[in-house]
Amino acid sequence: MDWQQLWEIASTPDNIPIVALLFLVPFYTWYAFRQARANDQLIGALEGSPELAKTHHRKTLPFKPEWPREVHVWPYLLRIEFLAAIIVTVILMIWSITLNAPLEEPANPNFTMNPAKAPWYFLGLQEMLVYFDPWMAGVVLPSLILVGLAAIPYMDENPLGAGYYTLKQRKWSIAAFCFGFLVLWLTMIFIGTFIRGPGWMWFWPGQTWDHSRVVFEVNRDLPDLFFITSAWGKGILGAIVMAVYYGLAGLLVHKIITLNEFNRKIFKRMSLLQYLTLQFFLIMMMLLPLKIFIRHAFRIKYIWITPWFNI
Amino acid sequence: MPETPTPPPEEQDPVTSNSYSAIYLISSILLILTLFWALYDEVYGLRPWKSYQRKFVSLYLSNLKKLKPREKGAEEEIRKTEGYQELDRAYKAAELEATPKVKDIDRQVGLIDDRATALTDTFQTARSEVSAKIYEIEHASTRSRPSLEKELEEIKRGPFKVELPLLDGSEKKERVSYTFEELEKEFDRLKGLKADLLATRLEVLKQANDFHKKRDQYLEERMIGLTEQQVGSLISKMEAFNVEIKQINVPEYGIVDRCESCHVGIREPLVLEARELGGMRAFTSHPDRELLKIHNPDRFGCTPCHNGNGRATISAEKAHGQNEHWLWPMYASKNADAGCVQCHLNDIVLDHADTLNYARQMYWERGCMGCHRYEGYDKEPEQLLAVNQTLRSLEGQKKENQKEIAALEKDSENAATNEEARQLLAKAQEIPMKISLLDAQMEQLDMQSKSLLREQKKIGPNLKDVRLKLKKEWIPVWLEQPTAFRPTTKMPNFRLSQEQRQAIAAFIWQSGTEASVSKQPPGDAQNGKELFEIRGCQACHSLGEGNERMGGTFAANLSRVGEKANYDYLVRWIHNPRERTLPYCPFEKKEITAADYAKHGLPFVFDPDHAKCPNDGHELQVQQTTVMPNLRLSWKEAQDIASYLVTERHTNASYPPAAFMDDPGLKAKGVQYVKFYGCASCHEIAGLEEEGRIGTELTKEGSKPIDNFDFALLARKAKNEGWYTGKGFIEHKLQQPEIYDTGMVKSPLEKLRMPNPHLDDQQRSAITTFLIGSVDSSWPNDLFYNPSGQARDIQEGWWIVRKYNCMGCHQVRLSQRSVLMDLPRYQNPDWREQLPPRLVGEGARVNPRWLEQFLANPALNTTETDRNGVRPYLKARMPTFFFSPDEIRKLVRFFMALSTQAEPYIPQRLEALSSQETQMARELFTSKAAPCLKCHATGETTHDKTATAPNFLLAKDRLKPNWTGRWIADPAVISPGTSMPSNLFKLQGGRYVFSGPLPDLFKSYDKDQIALLVRYMFELSPEEQRRLLSRR
Repeated sequence: MDWQQLWEIASTPDNIPIVALLFLVPFYTWYAFRQARANDQLIGALEGSPELAKTHHRKTLPFKPEWPREVHVWPYLLRIEFLAAIIVTVILMIWSITLNAPLEEPANPNFTMNPAKAPWYFLGLQEMLVYFDPWMAGVVLPSLILVGLAAIPYMDENPLGAGYYTLKQRKWSIAAFCFGFLVLWLTMIFIGTFIRGPGWMWFWPGQTWDHSRVVFEVNRDLPDLFFITSAWGKGILGAIVMAVYYGLAGLLVHKIITLNEFNRKIFKRMSLLQYLTLQFFLIMMMLLPLKIFIRHAFRIKYIWITPWFNI
Repeated sequence: MPETPTPPPEEQDPVTSNSYSAIYLISSILLILTLFWALYDEVYGLRPWKSYQRKFVSLYLSNLKKLKPREKGAEEEIRKTEGYQELDRAYKAAELEATPKVKDIDRQVGLIDDRATALTDTFQTARSEVSAKIYEIEHASTRSRPSLEKELEEIKRGPFKVELPLLDGSEKKERVSYTFEELEKEFDRLKGLKADLLATRLEVLKQANDFHKKRDQYLEERMIGLTEQQVGSLISKMEAFNVEIKQINVPEYGIVDRCESCHVGIREPLVLEARELGGMRAFTSHPDRELLKIHNPDRFGCTPCHNGNGRATISAEKAHGQNEHWLWPMYASKNADAGCVQCHLNDIVLDHADTLNYARQMYWERGCMGCHRYEGYDKEPEQLLAVNQTLRSLEGQKKENQKEIAALEKDSENAATNEEARQLLAKAQEIPMKISLLDAQMEQLDMQSKSLLREQKKIGPNLKDVRLKLKKEWIPVWLEQPTAFRPTTKMPNFRLSQEQRQAIAAFIWQSGTEASVSKQPPGDAQNGKELFEIRGCQACHSLGEGNERMGGTFAANLSRVGEKANYDYLVRWIHNPRERTLPYCPFEKKEITAADYAKHGLPFVFDPDHAKCPNDGHELQVQQTTVMPNLRLSWKEAQDIASYLVTERHTNASYPPAAFMDDPGLKAKGVQYVKFYGCASCHEIAGLEEEGRIGTELTKEGSKPIDNFDFALLARKAKNEGWYTGKGFIEHKLQQPEIYDTGMVKSPLEKLRMPNPHLDDQQRSAITTFLIGSVDSSWPNDLFYNPSGQARDIQEGWWIVRKYNCMGCHQVRLSQRSVLMDLPRYQNPDWREQLPPRLVGEGARVNPRWLEQFLANPALNTTETDRNGVRPYLKARMPTFFFSPDEIRKLVRFFMALSTQAEPYIPQRLEALSSQETQMARELFTSKAAPCLKCHATGETTHDKTATAPNFLLAKDRLKPNWTGRWIADPAVISPGTSMPSNLFKLQGGRYVFSGPLPDLFKSYDKDQIALLVRYMFELSPEEQRRLLSRR
């Protein structure tokens, strides 16, 4: 174990946000889930009790039936926000005094640094470049991510989930977020920061980053496995495979959407456009873990090769 | 809220009832604290130089105050001297005399000033109004101009009313009314009056001021260190010290250096040492003040030489550029010379840079440049290659041209018209001229190739001669570890396996020339020892092992030469080291044998005068590529020395038989290894004469990005131990060249091949300094030292002086000692006279045309060569170096430039002596008090046995008359310790007069007597000298 190097990576001013992320994201996820669950339980209890069910009551904990039904933003919310602002200011001040901007040497066009890493918030995108071609990883997928995030409220319209933390009424959104952001996005940032070393090679945490490391990582494309060499052949095979994937994944998504009573209720309320959009984003999202898997398990780089883009 | 019942106090809604005061208080306090922290950081934390400066001022002030009384005592002493008092009196008298006049002038000036002051206000107001109006007119449209001009007229007309005091001193005032023109005129008149008066005042005071200046200068010249006044001004400077960023800004080079913000004392006129300043090393003054004079920091800044980050001020680490990612970290003090390299690329000898000089010489002497190209080193092979390539292409061109003639003639026969035929023929007739131009060009190239062949040297011996020179069994033993046989050898230690060693030995042995050297009779070893010591061999070679080693380090230590060398070959070598067994033709790339000569019916003779290849007429390599010169010894002497050298051996050494060396199978393997290890970089080896270099070029090694250094498996270790830098890489590589193979799986021919150069710490540090300084400089070219004229002659000359080790025998520059000077034998006063001449000021002494001839043939004689041309009485021998014409030119220009002699040299015309003058000069020449011919050689054998000075007959061609005069006046000044007596002449009324008794003839002679003697010397004929000799 190369503890020193691990410490060097973790303590680089650049990587401080990522290290913080490692602790803060699980904590707040847990915190939000706890609140959501408690709220759901509270609502269950309220709806289960005939005398409380009829009253106006607040839907969030802490709760006592006799407490005010509503509280005002001023001062009850703002005082907490202001306190948060002070604490964040203190943290930012200390941060900016103690850690200087991590500048490096002047850019030299004759010499590329290795590893050349994007800023931490882009490391997920950079990691995606391993699995997709630059056009897909750099342009198409980031756009889809942005559009997809923005589209979530328009696909999940359940009015019962508005205004408070709830798990029960927002299963879809939360599941999509957990998978898309926590699992895929943050994991990729983590991989980009801690795992990828010189030559963008895979180093387990604690393994020394060696510039001259040699690994067996000869990539091939799916058509190569079938000894297809013509461009047409590659395009057609890829298109077929992708079509099959779309069919299967669409089926799988549909199965999940209609899995139980609640899901079916939501499904019924969806318009065709909403449904198809949801399908599209979920299928695209699943493409990423799938490609990560076949890349690492079978050394397959691209499935569908066309002169314009590769998937 | 009325509908909700009031809850019991313990169950209040936490959202509304919780108090956050405590958290608010704590976070607010934290916020304020961080605010103060930020302020502190802004004012002090990020500006450490403030406390540095304050500390320096207090330490330096207390130091200066202690210093003051001490300096004062010394100053009082000087003030009391007669010289000072005299000047002081003169100053005071002159001042007294001028006082009344000065007072009168001052009074008048006062009156003028009063009147001018009264005028100024009105005048300036009027002037600014007028100027503004004029500007308005200039920028107005043509239409509005006339009205504006009218306005201007109105302003100028005034009237301006002023009350002015009169100039007669009566304190009365006049009221006047001026127009603008009158106002201006009056103002200019007053200015003119005042200027005249002030000029007169200066004139009146001139004498007094001159004496004042002289008096202060007198004091300054006699004070060591600083005068009281200077110390005082330093103190007041420190007391008024302003704490601020001290910055050197050189806009034309983009230099911004704030180093002096902490290194406040670096340019102080006092020598400041850390222990005087509270142990603060940052406060010391620059250790090499002279260097700072040449490289004024106001022009060069600090970082161009030292590196580091001149702009950084927030910490010493950052300012010194020792933080990660800064590409130019400051050089450590022991590597300080590294900063010189980038600008002084072509100086092999550089003042103030001893480490660098040492390294640069070592880079050549140790043969580093054999494998690692470095701009400026060992240029000849590359140039030779280029010349040969051009030659070849020209030859091709010539053949083409010849073909073209035939083609053109044929075309003209078939031409359609007469006109066309005539044109084609004319073209054909022009081609022979073209060919002749090509011939001329080829001739020049051949000459150049001849020069280059002569200049081309190899560091190691010629391995074509192994069969003639070496004991066969010795070779594999030597290859195993050269330092085991000879610890000081230049040959590095290779890491060879038994198999590789045998293969290399076999290849070397079998590729050696099969020839024989003539048998030599044994000589007298006792006499050989004496000759070895007195002929100057030890200027380059040493003898004795360990602490008993004595002699120069330039060439091999000869202690065990008897174990390896063949006596007959040794005799030939000592007789003439440049003698080659077979000449080599670089054009055909092979050795030319007697058979080749016979084929063309030519005698088998090759030497510098017969250097044309019998096969193709190109220049041959007719000499050994060694720098060892020919000492022009007789065969007898050579035999004696060789007999002595073969006794230099370990008697108990034994060498196992090496039959494998004749195995032809091994030879084929050997050539592969010889190529792999780059043996041909230093040695001449048959078939590998044009092998390229096998190592990395190092000219820009210092600029290599750290990731391009292959630390292999040691990168992590190097980072942890703090040597993950270019410097660390080089130092470790030099110490243990195979270090970066540690833990690697490699086949024998993949391994690092750099041999171990067995350097000591000092040498390693010097080479490292040289290499880390070898950077691709980003500074503008005009900061570089690319001199022209004499400075460049000096630069070029040093390369040759270093190449042939001239400084082994001669003192070429002040404070340099030759190797011979420090040998025990030459400590004895009798032997000290036997030291080769000092060459400091040689350029002023000799005629450059003569020097050319002397360098080409130091015997100054074509038949009788077993002698020194100028100083036959010296036992040490000025050898023949076989310089190329180009080298001679450079050397002569070097010596002339060192003494700043004008080039080309035009001899001074000396007036012919009248018969009376001849007689007088002859009297001086033969005077009993100083008989010149007693010591000076004459060419007559019996007399010359006791001679200790050069022959006068050489003077005319050899010396410059002015120098000769200065030499006679005071030889000890020019060459301390010379046996030529000083004080032969004394200065009397501006001319030199003989110190001894003068014959009556001189009574009426009022000219310089040295000049007379010099003229006589330059006219001296052999007959006259013989006559005088016989008269003695």
